[in-house]
Amino acid sequence: MDTEPPSVLSSPLPLLGRVVATERRPNTAFEFHFWTALDAPVGIGSIVRADGERPVNGQVPIVYGVVTEGLSYTDLQSPLHDVLGHDGEPSHATAAATERAEIRLYSAAVLRQIPEEPMQPVPMGRVHLADDADVAAALRMDGYLRDGESRGIPVGVYHGGGVESPIYLDADFLVGPEAAHLNITGVSGLATKTSAAEWLIASLFAHFPASKGSVAAVCFNVKGPDLLFLDQPGELDERDRAVYERLGVPAEPFEKVEYYAPYTARGYTLNTLRSNEALSANVHPLTWGLREVLQYAEVLLNRDDVDAKADALIDFIKERVIDREFTDPLLRRPYRVQTFGELEEWFRDLLMAIEGRGGGGDSWRTHHVATIRKVRNRLSNISTRCAGLVTDDGAVSDLPFGNLSDRTVYVVDVAMLEEDAQDLIFARVVSKLREHLERRDLGVNHVVVFVDELNKYAPSDGPDTYVRKMLLDISERGRYLGLVLFSAQQFRSQVHRRVVGNAGSSLYGRMDADELSTPGYAVLSPAIRTRLATLDRGQMMVRHPHFTQPIFMRFPRPAVMRGRDGVEQYPQAEEPTLEAAILRSLLTLDRSLSLSWVQDVIALASEEEALRARNVTLLARPADVRSFFAAQFRAVVGARTPGRPVVAPALRVLADDDPYGF
Amino acid sequence: MDPSFRSAQRTLQGWAPDLPLQADGGAPLETLGRVVEPPRLLAAPVVEDSALRARPVGGEPEVGFLAFLDGIQRSRVLAYHDGLPVVFGVVAAVIRLRVNRRLHSWTGGPLVERRIYLPLAYLPSELAAHFRAAGLDVVDTTAVGPDQAIPIRHPLALLDRAIHLVQEDREGAEQTLAERWCNAERAPIFIDGGLNKSELVARSPNAVGVVKSHRTLYVEGDALDQVFRLRGGERSSVFRIPSSRRTPVASWYLRLRDPAGHDPLFGLVRVEAADAELAGESLPALTARADRLSRWILAESSPLSLPDGRWDRMVYGIRDCEEYLRAVI
Ligand SMILES: Nc1ncnc2c1ncn2[C@@H]1O[C@H](COP(=O)(O)OP(=O)(O)O)[C@@H](O)[C@H]1O
Ligand SMILES: [Mg+2]
Repeated sequence: MDTEPPSVLSSPLPLLGRVVATERRPNTAFEFHFWTALDAPVGIGSIVRADGERPVNGQVPIVYGVVTEGLSYTDLQSPLHDVLGHDGEPSHATAAATERAEIRLYSAAVLRQIPEEPMQPVPMGRVHLADDADVAAALRMDGYLRDGESRGIPVGVYHGGGVESPIYLDADFLVGPEAAHLNITGVSGLATKTSAAEWLIASLFAHFPASKGSVAAVCFNVKGPDLLFLDQPGELDERDRAVYERLGVPAEPFEKVEYYAPYTARGYTLNTLRSNEALSANVHPLTWGLREVLQYAEVLLNRDDVDAKADALIDFIKERVIDREFTDPLLRRPYRVQTFGELEEWFRDLLMAIEGRGGGGDSWRTHHVATIRKVRNRLSNISTRCAGLVTDDGAVSDLPFGNLSDRTVYVVDVAMLEEDAQDLIFARVVSKLREHLERRDLGVNHVVVFVDELNKYAPSDGPDTYVRKMLLDISERGRYLGLVLFSAQQFRSQVHRRVVGNAGSSLYGRMDADELSTPGYAVLSPAIRTRLATLDRGQMMVRHPHFTQPIFMRFPRPAVMRGRDGVEQYPQAEEPTLEAAILRSLLTLDRSLSLSWVQDVIALASEEEALRARNVTLLARPADVRSFFAAQFRAVVGARTPGRPVVAPALRVLADDDPYGF
Repeated sequence: MDPSFRSAQRTLQGWAPDLPLQADGGAPLETLGRVVEPPRLLAAPVVEDSALRARPVGGEPEVGFLAFLDGIQRSRVLAYHDGLPVVFGVVAAVIRLRVNRRLHSWTGGPLVERRIYLPLAYLPSELAAHFRAAGLDVVDTTAVGPDQAIPIRHPLALLDRAIHLVQEDREGAEQTLAERWCNAERAPIFIDGGLNKSELVARSPNAVGVVKSHRTLYVEGDALDQVFRLRGGERSSVFRIPSSRRTPVASWYLRLRDPAGHDPLFGLVRVEAADAELAGESLPALTARADRLSRWILAESSPLSLPDGRWDRMVYGIRDCEEYLRAVI
């Protein structure tokens, strides 16, 4: 690295200790030992600087290290001597006139040596606590923190002996192209994993280098109300604010957040805990039709062990049946399948025809009738299992793929959904992001995908699901595309190795002792492991490609409202009547609508028709909401017979001259 | 090994390049245990009682000392010149001050002295000059000794003499520090060994000498039995150690630990303090003083100075002095 070595003359903090080495406990190029006064402000994780005493090649060596182990002992050779000395009476011990000589001996892992060549064992010398400049040099942050072209993304502050030094990650190694991805581990509730991800996204938005372009985040809310109030202010204390200030991150909630959630099975309201009317302006429905779902049918089907024969039939349906006219000698009429309802009709007629044919064997176009039955079952199941997401009428409401905007968080709330629906959403959203990034037309250059509870989606054991393969793919190739995975889970050991292994950076919060005893943590010293098991909220250990050793640091509470505060402050709306539900949705388009108006318009319509009209209106976002919505009913009444969905543009003409639809 | 030993070897080589050096300096001469004083019994006049007896110390142990003083020595043969030993000796002494129950060095650390011990009578005089030019003091091991004789040209005789001289230098260093303390401080100091080499120290009300070795026992006959029978925490009556050439001191035996199951000298120390008569002290005052100092010494019996072999009578503060000095020289 072509960095200026820090000046030997830079004024270091007060002397902390001295390097020591003995034949039994020698120093090496990667580890050294030092002793300190008994009350020295140093501990496991402290970053220290050792200044050598004689020049090598004309330069006095400086060695940076992080304390990995500490020992304390006295000149006592056997505990028995202490017992003898106090006549076996513990109470006598306090009376002794003199305390035994005692030592504090620390071991430190080398972070960096200057000069780097020749690489030598750590020399004897004085040891100081590191100051800001030392921390920057020790972690090789000087390489990416240059004025004007900084690639530093603040991740927290390192706290050592009364000073707080900022810790930065290198954007090139956090969001690509050199390395990418971030994984966060630690026990629930104490490790502050979700909070860390929120904080880091805020920090990324504030510090993402202009030269790298735009960045957005797509977060999957998988648990309760975790991510549902990112646009609302949260409580911060003075200490938190000081860190925001120090790191130059605004202590404010996210400015641009868009929420997406499917409908509930009933279809009146969106299936999310963010249902309070006061917050509905940026909550959007997420609904997909047959075509969207079939593209990802394998997400749901391979889990049920659908074989190659079923795959072949699904491919046939995708290519030959959906969205085109389909005729077959066996079938009495041409089919044009565009919705789940129509697909079901097609299956029904086809199976009846095969059975009615008599003696023609039990296959059709090489597909066995049992396979046809099985696929029919599976597919019709999807619309039930994913009710609320998959619409029968084919209405699609989606994230603005192609039009994502800079520094915006898109939250997809899947917390209330069944596993199948979660998987489907996950697979399709991520695949779409990937497709668009490949074509460079997503709307932003980089997107961070945050997946909490990663062990559920990419477990280390269990079947090789579509979702896991996809996560593996992002983690291996995402960095070239600008597709970055921020993930979190309780137990890193339960996540697929290559998914976490490809994460360039990792954060570790409070850890569980069982997890720490798994082989992945064996490289850490017992003291570091103990510290991991006792970390406070907001404290984390960070690993990053530039840091040769893990570093302990602290980050502030995210400046957003905590999920559980949010649901208290913004209680869920009660399950509304159909009219109220429709009004609520349409109010996001036109604030002047009233309940009586909705009641009037849908008075004669069925529930299904009313919901369909709402969906179409929400999707079209017409200028004149009243006439557009009302027009849906006249049109439906007029053209009821064929199961064709209403095509919005054609209707707009009708609506124009009759504002009330009657 | 002490780096100054190597540099002394180099200095010697500078004068006699072909002289074969002692590869590792051999073992420290002190460990060879050459100079052994013969055991003696020597009666001393009892001043506290009509006859020497066991006495209680009048209360529980209490902390009284503020500082501890001790010295160490180390000598090695640099080389043999025509069979004659050229000895390098280091002596060091330190006062360790007790602050908040922890020990620290008093004003600026230890007193360390390094010297060359040479049989000048048998060696070319340029060698001494050469060492002096290199900044090393030279001591003549063939100077007339206390026996009024020059040691014979036997290497072992010369070595014995060298060790003896190093020991004197060590005592000198200890005495220098003790005098500095008595001049500068008013607080009690625990000194390893006897007091009466220095008039100033022997008269000081603050200096207490504690002797652990008993090659000479200052009791005879019935008094000897009394001393052997002392139990843990008991002292003997105060007696006086007169000296023709030196200042007399008050002295008594004190048993730090119960000797049951051990040798008769187990846990036994002999205390030296300023003489009562010289101080014009009344008898009850002398008793009170001996009791008080004994209680102070007993308070130092914890923590134990194990693993030192003399742990039964060596206090922790003195071991600390020795460990400190071993670390610095
Ligand atoms: N930097 C911080 N300092 C102190 N407390 C924090 C910090 N970040 C989060 N917390 C608190 O810790 C709790 C758990 O955080 P959370 O992120 O939900 O943990 P996890 O995702 O690991 O279960 C929250 O109630 C939050 O208020
Ligand atoms: Mg969480």
